[in-house]
Amino acid sequence: MNSAGREPERARIAGDFVEALSRNGVAYQPEFTGSGASEIVQTQATTILAFKYEDGVMVAGDRRATAGNVVVYERADKVLEIDRHSVMAIAGVPATAWEMARVLEHSFHFYRRTQMQEMSVDGKVRALSKLLRDNFGFAMQGIGVVVPLFATYDELEPGGRLYFYDVMGAQFEVTDFAASGSGSPAVRAILHYENHWGKKPLDGRSEKDAVSLALRALETAAESDTATGGVDRRAHVYPVIKTITKKGVETISEKTLASIYEKGMP
Amino acid sequence: MTDEPYRYVEAMANRREYVENQLATGSPIVALSYDGGVLFLTVGPERQKVFEIYDRIALGALGHPGDIERLRMIAIEVASTEGFTRSPVDVSLRRLTSYSFSPMLKNAFEQVYGPPFLARLLFAELGRKHELDLFVRLDFDGSLQTSGVGVAREPFGVLAGTRRAMNEMHDFLKTKDLSSPKLSTALDLASQAWGVGTFYTRGQDHREKPTDESIADVLKEALKTNVLEAAVLECGAPEHHAYRPLDSSDVEAVIVRYRGSD
Repeated sequence: MNSAGREPERARIAGDFVEALSRNGVAYQPEFTGSGASEIVQTQATTILAFKYEDGVMVAGDRRATAGNVVVYERADKVLEIDRHSVMAIAGVPATAWEMARVLEHSFHFYRRTQMQEMSVDGKVRALSKLLRDNFGFAMQGIGVVVPLFATYDELEPGGRLYFYDVMGAQFEVTDFAASGSGSPAVRAILHYENHWGKKPLDGRSEKDAVSLALRALETAAESDTATGGVDRRAHVYPVIKTITKKGVETISEKTLASIYEKGMP
Repeated sequence: MTDEPYRYVEAMANRREYVENQLATGSPIVALSYDGGVLFLTVGPERQKVFEIYDRIALGALGHPGDIERLRMIAIEVASTEGFTRSPVDVSLRRLTSYSFSPMLKNAFEQVYGPPFLARLLFAELGRKHELDLFVRLDFDGSLQTSGVGVAREPFGVLAGTRRAMNEMHDFLKTKDLSSPKLSTALDLASQAWGVGTFYTRGQDHREKPTDESIADVLKEALKTNVLEAAVLECGAPEHHAYRPLDSSDVEAVIVRYRGSD
């Protein structure tokens, strides 16, 4: 660090945190040098969903983490706040996903502090894409596969924006809803049905109705998918549900979830 | 040149004089604890002089813009890298200034064949408790002055182009009641302290302390052509967002008092 400011200057992209890490001798991700498929039974996190509702975007995830047919953890948090207006939800290997979330969070703050402006929505979406791409070597070997959702609020063109990614880092913007993880087929079916033939399209629903729908969709996924955890009222385990609106990211409290769950699911 | 002791001392003295001359006309900066956090205040042309460094750390700087920029980047980079590899809670101003900045600045100052940093820095850290707010001033030669602990603790930090101006600002604030002022009171005190600093920056040979009127005159004159820049580190703000530049409605009272309403 002693010489950080004294080296001959070269032009580089300002405000890139991952580059700053490598310049400071902290490798975010070493090159993958192994070969052959992994035989380790990896911890996996599933099922996440997100859809646009009246005020913005709602993101929800169950709480179960599994390794093979073992339930590792029943209180995993897969819906992560990245900054005041962005949420990343993860399906896949938490070891990789949580690290990606940490890099992303620091990248956005680093950019804001060094450049004295917020990163654009496109810039943020692209940053996650790049992390997935950097992870591709591992993913190809079957280690640390992550398939995230990313939701944010665009202040330039007011409105929620929602993206899903594939393993290689391609980003897809969605207009209505997205789901990922092992329970996602059931969730997608429900969200599609509700959006087309429900009493209101998803983006016309109130926060309360949206929470109720998210809870029902996750319960349905848990019904047939053992890797998805449902609601456990006795142990106070509820899905994590966050909203992204003009006001920023908010977490729906356990109390609210419990009350909506009881009223909405007789 | 530096192989003889006398020449070395002479070279250092020349260098010190050169840097001090470069910094002498810089606009003062005041940082002050108030009941909701820490306030930074300065007056100057549009160029920003107060910056966010990390979750609870901010920086005010005077000197050459290029050097300020390099030091600001280093501070953010060191704090962010540590916050990432360990945890944001592990980032502390005491360690940032004592272990990273002070040796680096001293080194740059003493390497006679390389350029020194033409800058003087005032860092503040928002404490977990009000009485733990910390202020650290770092000079171009790496010397370091903190706001102290226990009974000797002072809930403020000052920065100016000359040593005299800094001493006078310090003495001015020392006479005031600084036990958890409200933001409006803190803005008043900070702008007056800025006025004292500027009074002595402009007139090195002032013998008498400035009166309230002469402080007001300094501010009136300055606000005709300059902007008042203020920022806070706020207690209870969302995580990672303690730093907030104040907007014109927050500082309007001060401006109206000295400039009159437009």
